[in-house]
Amino acid sequence: MVELGINLPLLIAYLVTFVILLAILYQFAYKPLMAAMDQRSERIQEGLSAAEQARQEAASSQAAIEEQLNEARREGQRLLDQAREASQRYRESEMERARQEAEAFAERARADIQRERDAALDELRASFGDLAITAAERVIRRSLDRQAHEELITQVLEEGESLRRG
Amino acid sequence: MPSGAAAKRVMLLAGVVMLALLIAGFVVGAIGSQMFGAPRFLAQPAIHLPPQPVFPISAAKESLGYSDYPKEAEEKPAADAEHPPAAGSADHGDAEEEHHFKPMGVTQFAITNTLLSAWLTSIVIILFFVLGARKRAMVPGRFQSVVESIFEGVLSFASSVLGPEMACKAFPVVATIFFFVLFNAWIALFLVPIYQAVGLGSGGLWDFELKAHLIRPAGTDVNMPLALALISFVFVEYWGIRVLGLGYFKKFFAFGNLLRGRPSGLIDVFVGILELISELVRIVSFTFRLFGNMTAGEILVVMITFLVPFVANIFVFGLELLVGLIQAVIFAGLTLVFLSLAVHHEEH
Repeated sequence: MVELGINLPLLIAYLVTFVILLAILYQFAYKPLMAAMDQRSERIQEGLSAAEQARQEAASSQAAIEEQLNEARREGQRLLDQAREASQRYRESEMERARQEAEAFAERARADIQRERDAALDELRASFGDLAITAAERVIRRSLDRQAHEELITQVLEEGESLRRG
Repeated sequence: MPSGAAAKRVMLLAGVVMLALLIAGFVVGAIGSQMFGAPRFLAQPAIHLPPQPVFPISAAKESLGYSDYPKEAEEKPAADAEHPPAAGSADHGDAEEEHHFKPMGVTQFAITNTLLSAWLTSIVIILFFVLGARKRAMVPGRFQSVVESIFEGVLSFASSVLGPEMACKAFPVVATIFFFVLFNAWIALFLVPIYQAVGLGSGGLWDFELKAHLIRPAGTDVNMPLALALISFVFVEYWGIRVLGLGYFKKFFAFGNLLRGRPSGLIDVFVGILELISELVRIVSFTFRLFGNMTAGEILVVMITFLVPFVANIFVFGLELLVGLIQAVIFAGLTLVFLSLAVHHEEH
Protein backbone atom coordinates (compact mmCIF):
# COMPACT_ATOMS: atom_id res chain seq x y z
CA MET A 1 0.00 0.00 0.00
CA VAL A 2 2.65 2.45 1.01
CA GLU A 3 4.99 1.54 -1.82
CA LEU A 4 2.13 2.05 -4.21
CA GLY A 5 1.43 5.40 -2.65
CA ILE A 6 -2.07 4.86 -1.36
CA ASN A 7 -2.74 7.63 1.08
CA LEU A 8 -6.05 8.34 2.72
CA PRO A 9 -5.86 12.13 2.99
CA LEU A 10 -4.70 12.30 -0.59
CA LEU A 11 -7.60 10.14 -1.69
CA ILE A 12 -10.01 12.40 0.13
CA ALA A 13 -8.29 15.42 -1.40
CA TYR A 14 -8.86 13.97 -4.88
CA LEU A 15 -12.46 13.20 -4.08
CA VAL A 16 -13.02 16.74 -2.86
CA THR A 17 -11.19 18.15 -5.87
CA PHE A 18 -13.35 16.13 -8.19
CA VAL A 19 -16.57 17.08 -6.45
CA ILE A 20 -15.65 20.77 -6.50
CA LEU A 21 -14.69 20.50 -10.15
CA LEU A 22 -17.98 18.77 -10.88
CA ALA A 23 -19.96 21.40 -9.02
CA ILE A 24 -18.21 24.30 -10.74
CA LEU A 25 -18.47 22.71 -14.16
CA TYR A 26 -22.08 21.83 -13.60
CA GLN A 27 -22.99 25.31 -12.51
CA PHE A 28 -20.90 27.35 -14.91
CA ALA A 29 -20.37 25.10 -17.89
CA TYR A 30 -22.79 22.22 -18.27
CA LYS A 31 -25.95 24.07 -17.41
CA PRO A 32 -25.28 27.11 -19.62
CA LEU A 33 -23.94 24.95 -22.43
CA MET A 34 -26.90 22.64 -22.24
CA ALA A 35 -29.28 25.58 -22.13
CA ALA A 36 -27.48 27.26 -25.02
CA MET A 37 -27.57 24.11 -27.07
CA ASP A 38 -31.21 23.50 -26.31
CA GLN A 39 -31.96 27.09 -27.16
CA ARG A 40 -30.01 26.85 -30.37
CA SER A 41 -31.61 23.61 -31.45
CA GLU A 42 -34.98 25.14 -30.62
CA ARG A 43 -34.06 28.19 -32.68
CA ILE A 44 -32.89 26.01 -35.54
CA GLN A 45 -36.07 24.00 -35.30
CA GLU A 46 -38.07 27.20 -35.42
CA GLY A 47 -36.05 28.44 -38.36
CA LEU A 48 -36.51 25.19 -40.18
CA SER A 49 -40.22 25.11 -39.58
CA ALA A 50 -40.49 28.77 -40.57
CA ALA A 51 -38.59 28.05 -43.76
CA GLU A 52 -40.80 25.06 -44.40
CA GLN A 53 -43.86 27.18 -43.80
CA ALA A 54 -42.56 29.91 -46.08
CA ARG A 55 -41.83 27.32 -48.72
CA GLN A 56 -45.31 25.93 -48.39
CA GLU A 57 -46.77 29.39 -48.50
CA ALA A 58 -44.77 30.21 -51.59
CA ALA A 59 -45.89 26.98 -53.17
CA SER A 60 -49.49 27.58 -52.27
CA SER A 61 -49.38 31.17 -53.48
CA GLN A 62 -47.75 29.94 -56.66
CA ALA A 63 -50.56 27.49 -57.01
CA ALA A 64 -53.07 30.22 -56.26
CA ILE A 65 -51.55 32.46 -58.89
CA GLU A 66 -51.58 29.59 -61.33
CA GLU A 67 -55.17 28.93 -60.45
CA GLN A 68 -56.08 32.57 -60.86
CA LEU A 69 -54.34 32.68 -64.20
CA ASN A 70 -56.18 29.62 -65.33
CA GLU A 71 -59.39 31.09 -64.03
CA ALA A 72 -58.74 34.32 -65.90
CA ARG A 73 -57.87 32.39 -69.01
CA ARG A 74 -61.03 30.37 -68.74
CA GLU A 75 -63.04 33.48 -67.99
CA GLY A 76 -61.57 35.21 -71.02
CA GLN A 77 -62.28 32.23 -73.16
CA ARG A 78 -65.78 32.09 -71.83
CA LEU A 79 -66.34 35.79 -72.47
CA LEU A 80 -64.97 35.42 -75.94
CA ASP A 81 -67.20 32.48 -76.62
CA GLN A 82 -70.13 34.33 -75.17
CA ALA A 83 -69.40 37.35 -77.30
CA ARG A 84 -69.00 35.23 -80.36
CA GLU A 85 -72.21 33.44 -79.62
CA ALA A 86 -74.00 36.68 -78.87
CA SER A 87 -72.80 38.20 -82.07
CA GLN A 88 -73.83 35.07 -83.92
CA ARG A 89 -77.20 35.18 -82.30
CA TYR A 90 -77.51 38.87 -83.00
CA ARG A 91 -76.57 38.38 -86.58
CA GLU A 92 -79.05 35.58 -86.95
CA SER A 93 -81.78 37.53 -85.24
CA GLU A 94 -81.00 40.56 -87.33
CA MET A 95 -81.07 38.53 -90.46
CA GLU A 96 -84.30 36.94 -89.36
CA ARG A 97 -85.73 40.32 -88.62
CA ALA A 98 -84.57 41.70 -91.96
CA ARG A 99 -86.05 38.74 -93.70
CA GLN A 100 -89.28 39.10 -91.81
CA GLU A 101 -89.34 42.79 -92.55
CA ALA A 102 -88.67 42.15 -96.16
CA GLU A 103 -91.33 39.51 -96.17
CA ALA A 104 -93.73 41.79 -94.37
CA PHE A 105 -92.90 44.49 -96.82
CA ALA A 106 -93.45 42.16 -99.73
CA GLU A 107 -96.64 40.93 -98.13
CA ARG A 108 -97.83 44.39 -97.69
CA ALA A 109 -96.90 45.23 -101.22
CA ARG A 110 -98.63 42.11 -102.42
CA ALA A 111 -101.68 42.98 -100.34
CA ASP A 112 -101.62 46.51 -101.75
CA ILE A 113 -101.33 45.17 -105.22
CA GLN A 114 -104.15 42.78 -104.54
CA ARG A 115 -106.21 45.51 -103.08
CA GLU A 116 -105.43 47.83 -105.95
CA ARG A 117 -106.27 45.06 -108.37
CA ASP A 118 -109.49 44.26 -106.56
CA ALA A 119 -110.35 47.91 -106.50
CA ALA A 120 -109.46 48.18 -110.13
CA LEU A 121 -111.47 45.09 -110.94
CA ASP A 122 -114.38 46.43 -108.93
CA GLU A 123 -114.07 49.68 -110.68
CA LEU A 124 -113.75 47.88 -113.96
CA ARG A 125 -116.71 45.73 -113.19
CA ALA A 126 -118.70 48.76 -112.29
CA SER A 127 -117.50 50.47 -115.46
CA PHE A 128 -118.34 47.38 -117.43
CA GLY A 129 -121.79 47.35 -115.94
CA ASP A 130 -122.20 50.94 -116.87
CA LEU A 131 -120.80 50.29 -120.26
CA ALA A 132 -123.04 47.29 -120.74
CA ILE A 133 -126.03 49.31 -119.66
CA THR A 134 -125.00 52.16 -121.90
CA ALA A 135 -124.39 49.76 -124.71
CA ALA A 136 -127.71 48.07 -124.06
CA GLU A 137 -129.40 51.42 -123.99
CA ARG A 138 -127.86 52.33 -127.25
CA VAL A 139 -128.69 48.96 -128.67
CA ILE A 140 -132.19 49.16 -127.58
CA ARG A 141 -132.52 52.69 -128.67
CA ARG A 142 -131.37 51.88 -132.15
CA SER A 143 -132.94 49.24 -134.13
CA LEU A 144 -131.50 46.00 -133.78
CA ASP A 145 -129.26 45.24 -136.69
CA ARG A 146 -126.26 43.10 -136.70
CA GLN A 147 -123.93 45.54 -137.99
CA ALA A 148 -124.89 48.08 -135.46
CA HIS A 149 -124.56 45.54 -132.72
CA GLU A 150 -121.10 44.65 -133.48
CA GLU A 151 -120.04 48.17 -133.92
CA LEU A 152 -121.54 48.96 -130.61
CA ILE A 153 -119.88 46.16 -128.78
CA THR A 154 -116.57 46.94 -130.26
CA GLN A 155 -117.02 50.52 -129.37
CA VAL A 156 -117.89 49.57 -125.82
CA LEU A 157 -114.96 47.25 -125.60
CA GLU A 158 -112.73 49.89 -126.98
CA GLU A 159 -114.01 52.26 -124.43
CA GLY A 160 -113.43 49.61 -121.81
CA GLU A 161 -109.94 49.13 -123.07
CA SER A 162 -109.26 52.74 -122.93
CA LEU A 163 -110.69 52.66 -119.45
CA ARG A 164 -108.39 49.99 -118.38
CA ARG A 165 -105.46 51.72 -119.85
CA GLY A 166 -106.44 54.85 -118.07
CA MET B 1 2.37 29.07 -45.69
CA PRO B 2 5.19 28.63 -48.15
CA SER B 3 4.12 26.73 -51.21
CA GLY B 4 5.68 24.48 -53.79
CA ALA B 5 9.45 24.28 -53.87
CA ALA B 6 9.88 26.45 -50.77
CA ALA B 7 7.69 24.14 -48.72
CA LYS B 8 9.56 21.15 -50.01
CA ARG B 9 12.85 22.72 -49.00
CA VAL B 10 11.59 23.55 -45.54
CA MET B 11 10.34 20.01 -45.12
CA LEU B 12 13.65 18.61 -46.27
CA LEU B 13 15.56 20.88 -43.91
CA ALA B 14 13.34 19.90 -41.03
CA GLY B 15 13.85 16.24 -41.88
CA VAL B 16 17.62 16.67 -41.93
CA VAL B 17 17.58 18.49 -38.60
CA MET B 18 15.38 15.81 -37.09
CA LEU B 19 17.64 13.07 -38.35
CA ALA B 20 20.70 14.87 -37.01
CA LEU B 21 19.03 15.31 -33.65
CA LEU B 22 18.02 11.66 -33.66
CA ILE B 23 21.61 10.56 -34.31
CA ALA B 24 23.00 13.03 -31.79
CA GLY B 25 20.43 11.85 -29.29
CA PHE B 26 21.38 8.27 -29.89
CA VAL B 27 25.06 9.06 -29.41
CA VAL B 28 24.66 11.00 -26.17
CA GLY B 29 21.84 8.82 -24.91
CA ALA B 30 22.27 5.89 -22.57
CA ILE B 31 22.80 3.29 -25.28
CA GLY B 32 25.14 5.38 -27.39
CA SER B 33 27.26 6.55 -24.50
CA GLN B 34 27.85 2.93 -23.53
CA MET B 35 28.75 2.01 -27.09
CA PHE B 36 30.91 5.00 -27.99
CA GLY B 37 31.99 6.19 -24.60
CA ALA B 38 30.44 9.61 -25.15
CA PRO B 39 29.47 11.63 -22.11
CA ARG B 40 25.97 10.81 -21.07
CA PHE B 41 23.54 13.66 -21.65
CA LEU B 42 21.06 12.73 -18.95
CA ALA B 43 21.40 11.09 -15.61
CA GLN B 44 19.55 7.88 -15.06
CA PRO B 45 16.04 8.83 -13.97
CA ALA B 46 14.68 7.60 -10.69
CA ILE B 47 11.22 6.11 -10.89
CA HIS B 48 8.95 6.63 -7.92
CA LEU B 49 5.56 5.02 -7.89
CA PRO B 50 4.23 6.87 -4.85
CA PRO B 51 3.59 10.58 -5.26
CA GLN B 52 6.08 12.85 -3.60
CA PRO B 53 4.98 15.47 -1.14
CA VAL B 54 6.05 19.00 -2.01
CA PHE B 55 4.19 20.97 0.60
CA PRO B 56 4.77 21.58 3.43
CA ILE B 57 8.50 21.67 2.74
CA SER B 58 9.29 19.73 5.88
CA ALA B 59 7.21 16.77 4.69
CA ALA B 60 8.88 16.96 1.31
CA LYS B 61 12.31 16.94 2.84
CA GLU B 62 11.49 14.04 5.01
CA SER B 63 10.06 12.00 2.18
CA LEU B 64 12.84 12.87 -0.18
CA GLY B 65 15.37 11.69 2.32
CA TYR B 66 17.24 14.93 2.57
CA SER B 67 18.37 13.84 5.96
CA ASP B 68 20.22 10.85 4.51
CA TYR B 69 21.83 12.75 1.73
CA PRO B 70 25.49 13.53 2.39
CA LYS B 71 25.39 16.93 0.68
CA GLU B 72 22.63 18.08 3.01
CA ALA B 73 24.56 17.21 6.10
CA GLU B 74 23.90 20.59 7.66
CA GLU B 75 20.18 20.08 7.31
CA LYS B 76 20.18 16.68 8.86
CA PRO B 77 19.99 17.65 12.51
CA ALA B 78 17.29 20.23 11.91
CA ALA B 79 15.19 17.86 9.87
CA ASP B 80 15.62 15.13 12.38
CA ALA B 81 14.78 17.36 15.24
CA GLU B 82 11.64 18.72 13.63
CA HIS B 83 10.46 15.55 12.08
CA PRO B 84 11.59 12.42 13.76
CA PRO B 85 11.41 9.56 11.32
CA ALA B 86 8.05 7.91 11.22
CA ALA B 87 7.67 4.51 12.79
CA GLY B 88 7.44 2.85 9.41
CA SER B 89 10.61 4.37 8.09
CA ALA B 90 12.74 1.45 9.22
CA ASP B 91 10.73 -0.89 7.02
CA HIS B 92 11.61 1.11 3.98
CA GLY B 93 15.24 1.53 4.63
CA ASP B 94 16.21 -0.21 1.41
CA ALA B 95 14.03 2.01 -0.68
CA GLU B 96 15.42 5.04 1.05
CA GLU B 97 18.97 4.04 0.33
CA GLU B 98 18.16 3.34 -3.25
CA HIS B 99 16.13 6.40 -4.15
CA HIS B 100 16.63 8.67 -1.20
CA PHE B 101 12.89 8.72 -1.13
CA LYS B 102 10.47 7.49 1.47
CA PRO B 103 6.79 7.27 0.57
CA MET B 104 4.29 8.89 2.84
CA GLY B 105 2.41 6.81 5.33
CA VAL B 106 -1.18 5.85 4.60
CA THR B 107 -2.61 8.54 6.84
CA GLN B 108 0.08 11.20 6.67
CA PHE B 109 -1.17 14.34 5.06
CA ALA B 110 0.89 16.43 2.71
CA ILE B 111 0.21 18.09 -0.59
CA THR B 112 1.89 16.05 -3.28
CA ASN B 113 3.06 17.01 -6.71
CA THR B 114 0.28 14.90 -8.21
CA LEU B 115 -2.35 16.76 -6.23
CA LEU B 116 -0.92 20.06 -7.42
CA SER B 117 -1.13 18.75 -10.95
CA ALA B 118 -4.75 17.73 -10.43
CA TRP B 119 -5.52 21.24 -9.20
CA LEU B 120 -3.77 22.79 -12.16
CA THR B 121 -5.73 20.53 -14.46
CA SER B 122 -8.98 21.40 -12.72
CA ILE B 123 -8.27 25.09 -13.16
CA VAL B 124 -7.51 24.57 -16.84
CA ILE B 125 -10.70 22.57 -17.35
CA ILE B 126 -12.75 25.19 -15.55
CA LEU B 127 -11.18 28.00 -17.58
CA PHE B 128 -11.69 26.10 -20.79
CA PHE B 129 -15.34 25.37 -20.24
CA VAL B 130 -16.36 28.47 -18.40
CA LEU B 131 -14.78 30.64 -21.07
CA GLY B 132 -16.34 28.48 -23.73
CA ALA B 133 -19.77 28.63 -22.14
CA ARG B 134 -19.61 32.23 -20.98
CA LYS B 135 -20.61 34.15 -24.05
CA ARG B 136 -23.33 31.83 -25.20
CA ALA B 137 -23.60 33.51 -28.57
CA MET B 138 -26.29 32.11 -30.78
CA VAL B 139 -23.79 31.88 -33.60
CA PRO B 140 -20.70 30.52 -31.84
CA GLY B 141 -17.18 31.74 -32.47
CA ARG B 142 -14.28 29.38 -33.00
CA PHE B 143 -13.46 28.70 -29.37
CA GLN B 144 -17.08 28.33 -28.40
CA SER B 145 -17.59 25.95 -31.32
CA VAL B 146 -14.71 23.79 -30.17
CA VAL B 147 -15.95 23.67 -26.60
CA GLU B 148 -19.50 22.99 -27.71
CA SER B 149 -18.56 20.30 -30.17
CA ILE B 150 -16.48 18.51 -27.52
CA PHE B 151 -19.36 18.85 -25.11
CA GLU B 152 -21.83 17.64 -27.68
CA GLY B 153 -19.62 14.71 -28.62
CA VAL B 154 -19.53 13.48 -25.04
CA LEU B 155 -23.25 14.07 -24.69
CA SER B 156 -24.10 12.11 -27.81
CA PHE B 157 -21.77 9.35 -26.65
CA ALA B 158 -23.66 9.20 -23.37
CA SER B 159 -26.96 9.29 -25.22
CA SER B 160 -25.96 6.40 -27.44
CA VAL B 161 -25.25 4.24 -24.40
CA LEU B 162 -27.97 5.36 -22.01
CA GLY B 163 -30.66 6.91 -24.13
CA PRO B 164 -31.32 10.64 -24.15
CA GLU B 165 -33.29 10.94 -20.93
CA MET B 166 -30.91 9.10 -18.63
CA ALA B 167 -27.93 10.61 -20.42
CA CYS B 168 -28.97 14.10 -19.35
CA LYS B 169 -29.02 13.04 -15.71
CA ALA B 170 -25.82 11.04 -15.78
CA PHE B 171 -23.99 13.41 -18.07
CA PRO B 172 -22.35 15.80 -15.59
CA VAL B 173 -20.50 13.15 -13.62
CA VAL B 174 -19.50 11.12 -16.65
CA ALA B 175 -18.34 14.15 -18.59
CA THR B 176 -16.37 15.43 -15.63
CA ILE B 177 -14.65 12.05 -15.30
CA PHE B 178 -13.90 12.12 -19.00
CA PHE B 179 -12.48 15.63 -19.01
CA PHE B 180 -10.58 15.12 -15.78
CA VAL B 181 -8.83 12.01 -17.08
CA LEU B 182 -8.25 13.46 -20.52
CA PHE B 183 -6.91 16.82 -19.38
CA ASN B 184 -4.76 15.22 -16.71
CA ALA B 185 -3.12 13.06 -19.34
CA TRP B 186 -2.80 15.73 -21.99
CA ILE B 187 -1.73 18.69 -19.93
CA ALA B 188 1.19 16.65 -18.66
CA LEU B 189 2.22 16.16 -22.28
CA PHE B 190 1.63 19.73 -23.40
CA LEU B 191 3.33 21.27 -20.39
CA VAL B 192 6.12 18.77 -20.36
CA PRO B 193 8.93 21.29 -19.64
CA ILE B 194 7.16 22.47 -16.51
CA TYR B 195 6.31 18.97 -15.49
CA GLN B 196 9.77 17.58 -16.11
CA ALA B 197 12.04 20.42 -15.09
CA VAL B 198 10.47 22.24 -12.16
CA GLY B 199 10.85 20.60 -8.86
CA LEU B 200 12.49 20.27 -5.54
CA GLY B 201 16.03 19.16 -5.40
CA SER B 202 19.41 19.78 -3.99
CA GLY B 203 22.44 21.65 -5.17
CA GLY B 204 22.90 24.97 -6.87
CA LEU B 205 21.92 26.21 -10.27
CA TRP B 206 24.46 24.10 -12.13
CA ASP B 207 24.74 20.92 -10.13
CA PHE B 208 21.04 20.87 -9.43
CA GLU B 209 19.79 17.42 -8.73
CA LEU B 210 16.05 17.05 -9.14
CA LYS B 211 14.53 14.87 -6.51
CA ALA B 212 10.85 15.53 -6.78
CA HIS B 213 8.96 17.24 -9.54
CA LEU B 214 6.81 20.07 -8.35
CA ILE B 215 3.98 18.78 -10.47
CA ARG B 216 3.56 15.32 -11.85
CA PRO B 217 0.64 13.91 -13.83
CA ALA B 218 -2.12 13.05 -11.40
CA GLY B 219 -2.82 9.81 -13.22
CA THR B 220 0.49 8.45 -11.96
CA ASP B 221 -0.77 8.75 -8.40
CA VAL B 222 -2.84 5.71 -7.55
CA ASN B 223 -5.09 7.82 -5.33
CA MET B 224 -6.48 9.78 -8.26
CA PRO B 225 -7.72 6.76 -10.25
CA LEU B 226 -8.91 5.26 -6.99
CA ALA B 227 -10.90 8.39 -6.21
CA LEU B 228 -12.44 8.39 -9.68
CA ALA B 229 -13.18 4.68 -9.43
CA LEU B 230 -14.93 5.21 -6.10
CA ILE B 231 -16.93 8.08 -7.55
CA SER B 232 -17.87 5.97 -10.54
CA PHE B 233 -18.83 3.09 -8.27
CA VAL B 234 -20.92 5.21 -5.93
CA PHE B 235 -22.49 6.95 -8.89
CA VAL B 236 -23.51 3.68 -10.54
CA GLU B 237 -24.86 2.19 -7.31
CA TYR B 238 -26.73 5.40 -6.54
CA TRP B 239 -28.53 5.42 -9.85
CA GLY B 240 -29.16 1.69 -9.66
CA ILE B 241 -30.89 2.09 -6.29
CA ARG B 242 -32.60 5.29 -7.34
CA VAL B 243 -34.10 3.79 -10.47
CA LEU B 244 -34.82 0.24 -9.35
CA GLY B 245 -35.28 0.85 -5.62
CA LEU B 246 -34.43 -2.00 -3.27
CA GLY B 247 -35.00 -4.37 -6.16
CA TYR B 248 -31.57 -3.35 -7.29
CA PHE B 249 -30.04 -5.64 -4.69
CA LYS B 250 -31.93 -8.67 -5.99
CA LYS B 251 -29.17 -8.94 -8.52
CA PHE B 252 -26.63 -9.65 -5.77
CA PHE B 253 -28.70 -11.55 -3.24
CA ALA B 254 -30.74 -13.80 -5.47
CA PHE B 255 -32.36 -16.05 -2.86
CA GLY B 256 -35.80 -15.85 -4.46
CA ASN B 257 -35.76 -19.20 -6.25
CA LEU B 258 -33.98 -20.98 -3.42
CA LEU B 259 -36.55 -19.84 -0.85
CA ARG B 260 -39.28 -21.12 -3.13
CA GLY B 261 -37.67 -24.52 -2.82
CA ARG B 262 -36.19 -24.81 -6.24
CA PRO B 263 -32.76 -26.40 -6.32
CA SER B 264 -31.79 -24.30 -9.32
CA GLY B 265 -31.92 -21.33 -6.96
CA LEU B 266 -28.45 -22.34 -5.84
CA ILE B 267 -27.16 -21.25 -9.22
CA ASP B 268 -28.86 -17.89 -8.80
CA VAL B 269 -27.23 -17.44 -5.43
CA PHE B 270 -23.87 -18.24 -6.88
CA VAL B 271 -24.41 -15.89 -9.80
CA GLY B 272 -25.45 -13.19 -7.35
CA ILE B 273 -22.21 -13.63 -5.42
CA LEU B 274 -20.28 -13.40 -8.68
CA GLU B 275 -22.17 -10.23 -9.56
CA LEU B 276 -21.32 -8.74 -6.20
CA ILE B 277 -17.65 -9.58 -6.59
CA SER B 278 -17.51 -8.24 -10.13
CA GLU B 279 -19.21 -5.06 -8.98
CA LEU B 280 -16.53 -4.55 -6.36
CA VAL B 281 -13.67 -5.63 -8.56
CA ARG B 282 -14.60 -2.85 -10.95
CA ILE B 283 -13.13 -0.38 -8.49
CA VAL B 284 -9.80 -2.17 -8.59
CA SER B 285 -9.81 -2.61 -12.34
CA PHE B 286 -10.79 1.02 -12.89
CA THR B 287 -8.03 2.15 -10.56
CA PHE B 288 -5.21 0.10 -11.93
CA ARG B 289 -6.14 0.43 -15.56
CA LEU B 290 -5.80 4.19 -15.42
CA PHE B 291 -2.94 4.21 -12.96
CA GLY B 292 -1.01 1.63 -14.97
CA ASN B 293 -1.55 3.36 -18.28
CA MET B 294 -0.61 6.79 -17.02
CA THR B 295 2.39 5.56 -15.04
CA ALA B 296 3.62 3.40 -17.88
CA GLY B 297 3.27 6.33 -20.22
CA GLU B 298 5.29 8.59 -17.98
CA ILE B 299 7.96 5.95 -17.48
CA LEU B 300 8.06 5.34 -21.21
CA VAL B 301 8.53 9.04 -21.89
CA VAL B 302 11.26 9.29 -19.28
CA MET B 303 13.04 6.16 -20.41
CA ILE B 304 12.96 6.99 -24.10
CA THR B 305 14.27 10.44 -23.26
CA PHE B 306 17.00 8.83 -21.22
CA LEU B 307 17.89 6.32 -23.92
CA VAL B 308 17.64 8.57 -26.97
CA PRO B 309 17.20 12.24 -26.07
CA PHE B 310 15.70 14.96 -28.28
CA VAL B 311 13.41 13.81 -31.05
CA ALA B 312 12.80 10.11 -30.50
CA ASN B 313 10.13 11.09 -28.00
CA ILE B 314 7.84 12.53 -30.65
CA PHE B 315 6.45 9.11 -31.39
CA VAL B 316 6.00 8.35 -27.72
CA PHE B 317 4.21 11.67 -27.31
CA GLY B 318 1.84 10.82 -30.12
CA LEU B 319 1.24 7.46 -28.56
CA GLU B 320 0.65 9.02 -25.16
CA LEU B 321 -1.86 11.51 -26.57
CA LEU B 322 -3.77 8.58 -27.96
CA VAL B 323 -3.47 6.63 -24.71
CA GLY B 324 -4.76 9.62 -22.75
CA LEU B 325 -7.79 9.91 -25.00
CA ILE B 326 -8.42 6.18 -24.93
CA GLN B 327 -8.18 6.02 -21.16
CA ALA B 328 -10.59 8.93 -20.81
CA VAL B 329 -13.02 7.27 -23.21
CA ILE B 330 -12.67 3.93 -21.44
CA PHE B 331 -13.15 5.38 -17.98
CA ALA B 332 -16.19 7.41 -18.97
CA GLY B 333 -17.50 4.73 -21.31
CA LEU B 334 -17.25 1.94 -18.77
CA THR B 335 -18.96 4.12 -16.20
CA LEU B 336 -21.75 4.65 -18.71
CA VAL B 337 -21.97 0.95 -19.52
CA PHE B 338 -22.03 -0.07 -15.87
CA LEU B 339 -24.63 2.59 -15.26
CA SER B 340 -26.81 1.31 -18.06
CA LEU B 341 -26.40 -2.25 -16.74
CA ALA B 342 -27.39 -1.14 -13.26
CA VAL B 343 -30.36 0.87 -14.46
CA HIS B 344 -31.75 -1.56 -16.99
CA HIS B 345 -31.11 -4.69 -15.02
CA GLU B 346 -34.74 -5.80 -15.02
CA GLU B 347 -34.83 -6.03 -18.75
CA HIS B 348 -32.01 -8.53 -19.01
